[in-house]
Amino acid sequence: MKKILLALFICAVACNLAYAGPALKKNCGCGMGSILFENNDGLMSQTAAATTNGLFGNQTFGISSGTLECNQPEAFYGSQMLHRFVAENMDSLAKDISRGQGESLETLAVLMDVPQQQRGEFSAKLQSNFSRIFTSPQVTEEEVVNNIITVTKTA
Amino acid sequence: MLRHAISLFLFSAALVCAGRAAGAEASYVNHLINKVGQQKLHQNRYWHILLHYKKTLFGYESVIDDPRFFLAPDGKHDPQAELAATLRAFFSPPDDPANPPVCRFIARYAWLKEQLGFDEAQLALASCRKFEKTMEVIRPKAATIIFPAAYMNNPASMFGHTFINIETENRSKLLSHAVNYSAFTTETNGLVFALKGLSGFYKGYFSILPYYEKVQEYSDINQRDIWEYRLNFTQAEVKKMVMHIWELQEIYAYYYFFDENCSYHILFLLEAGRPGLHLTDQPNQWVIPIDTVRALQDDGVIESADYRPSRATKIRYLAAALDRQEQKTALSLARGAIAPERVLQRDISLRDKAGILDLATEYLQYTYVKKEIPKDRYTALFLGLLQARSTLGKGAGPQHEPPAPADPEKGHESNRVALGFGVKKGTWFEELRLRPAYHSLTDNDAGYERGAQIQFMNTVLRYYSAKNDVQLKSLDVIDIISLSPRDLLFKPFSWKVKTGFRQQLMPDGRDHLIYQLHTGGGYAYSNKQLGLYYGMVEGAVNFSGSFKKNYALGIGAAIGLKKNITDRWTLLLEARSLYYGLGDEHTTHELTMKHNIALSAKRSLSWEVSRTRTFGIYQTDVVCMWNLYF
Repeated sequence: MKKILLALFICAVACNLAYAGPALKKNCGCGMGSILFENNDGLMSQTAAATTNGLFGNQTFGISSGTLECNQPEAFYGSQMLHRFVAENMDSLAKDISRGQGESLETLAVLMDVPQQQRGEFSAKLQSNFSRIFTSPQVTEEEVVNNIITVTKTA
Repeated sequence: MLRHAISLFLFSAALVCAGRAAGAEASYVNHLINKVGQQKLHQNRYWHILLHYKKTLFGYESVIDDPRFFLAPDGKHDPQAELAATLRAFFSPPDDPANPPVCRFIARYAWLKEQLGFDEAQLALASCRKFEKTMEVIRPKAATIIFPAAYMNNPASMFGHTFINIETENRSKLLSHAVNYSAFTTETNGLVFALKGLSGFYKGYFSILPYYEKVQEYSDINQRDIWEYRLNFTQAEVKKMVMHIWELQEIYAYYYFFDENCSYHILFLLEAGRPGLHLTDQPNQWVIPIDTVRALQDDGVIESADYRPSRATKIRYLAAALDRQEQKTALSLARGAIAPERVLQRDISLRDKAGILDLATEYLQYTYVKKEIPKDRYTALFLGLLQARSTLGKGAGPQHEPPAPADPEKGHESNRVALGFGVKKGTWFEELRLRPAYHSLTDNDAGYERGAQIQFMNTVLRYYSAKNDVQLKSLDVIDIISLSPRDLLFKPFSWKVKTGFRQQLMPDGRDHLIYQLHTGGGYAYSNKQLGLYYGMVEGAVNFSGSFKKNYALGIGAAIGLKKNITDRWTLLLEARSLYYGLGDEHTTHELTMKHNIALSAKRSLSWEVSRTRTFGIYQTDVVCMWNLYF
């Protein structure tokens, strides 16, 4: 029980305290298959508790880490925003990398400051190294970021 | 440059408490309040925008309900008192030095400072560090109105939702900040939610999320296409808007589904950015989200429209490029019945291999989101498919993005009035129809879901000049139809619900007004030649004093077809039989044919023929209508 409570607590922190209340059912975004399952229809928001903690503060990228749940990657590359983005968009990113194109992949390039003229090469490299980045179904966000960095560094 | 601008725009906010004598402050404030009176600033439109004041019969009232939004006790109703109280609060030592009124109401401050030329040395002002930091992170650059189109199989969602994206400099769209206004509730009973939502029981708050979360929510989970309307706001206008959003933190306004809803409240944000816009001044009526977009289009605010297809749309698009055998292969892949390598080994083009794998991947994700498979199975299959896909290299991929359909903003408008004439049993009549909202199956469906109908308070009046008799032909309080075609990949259910008053032929050979609740459910299919066709099992219950037993309860079936003969010409055919076994026993059979030709986005011509048999009596009804959408 204590463990569960601790896990819930960590999850709440990781998802930015703003999400704490009703959002506990949300998967915090580490690894594949992490999808928001709350069925918000936009009109009715069960996560509106988020709003009561202040509009911008906690939900704004980069102000606090969104991925505390996952250990910080060894090679801390770029901003916390990169990590949060990878953690929360793992499936789209994996899909885009396997196809060598797509909006999530472009966003990754932006967050990693890849210059415009090198993005084609960047995508191709990630695509051909897909299996080295997404090594297993249980791969975590920190592993993915580290693998991406390793792959892009090797010629 | 930007950072510089931001610091400037923070009004050199890092002024520290001047520690002046209270008397001096008070006299300066009184001086300012006098100035306000002379300039009549409390009557200024921008003040009314910032406080969300609306004119009422006796004065003003703000649509914001949270008392913390007002500094004067009667600030909700008194713009002048609120302005004076605001100035007093600005020039008094703050109760909470970490969050002084100057920082909390930063848009008010900026505007009043500009209007009155504050002597900031008089200000008991701490720095607005939190705001400053937030602005540095957000770096607001551009704004977009986001309009998620209707759910598949949920016509009520045509009312949709709208929110604003604040885009950041040099960043991908996915990283922009989605500003929402939504009702806060933990209610999970849809009916209770609807009833309470209609009558303003819920508090609505603004919230901000990364846009990619909204994309996941709408495109990936709810299968709604998204339209992104980029506004031609300047960076300065976007900043003004963000300052006002800042003021609305943790502030509630009661949520009313039809009028004071998400679309309505974000209009104030737009006006705060560009006060020249008059969006909230429209006469009180239902705010239908797409009408908001239309109003913006009319004001020349929309620069461009981008389409973001939902996952279901992508699946249909990918499937359409493949033959049935290949679609089945993709389905087997998504179910894990065959290994992805088998596709790689096939003697087909790279493009087809990619197409099959992509379809399988999207479909797998779709079934996962629908909770049809557990997570570990999903991730294993998902990774296997992607590994195979990555070996195909670049350039193998088909074009993933489905082409944009007609922009919903270009579709017909929501109100409809129709005038026409017809003949029944040899008697001519004139007919008037009024429909405040929203769309029927026969209305031109450019910009709408093909199989969706949702009408409220559709009222039909007939005048028989020979008898000098006005008749309420029908009044459909609610009339919803959802036809979603089934295919290899999607197996949705189609349904309808309709309730309201209508005339029914009784055994005495005359029409009588009855109240009817009529529902049905079944399957729909689609085919290029036939169009959309469907069959439903239906049930109806009728109430009327004209029945011997005051009611009749029946079941039956209907088949129908909707075909767009051309882009402008829609045909609807329907046959229905209902057997009423309880109450007044009788049967009804009806055959209807409706044609509608759109003359423009605003006008159409329609004619309808129906042949019915009720209580054994045949009747034919022919009517020709001219429709105006506005």
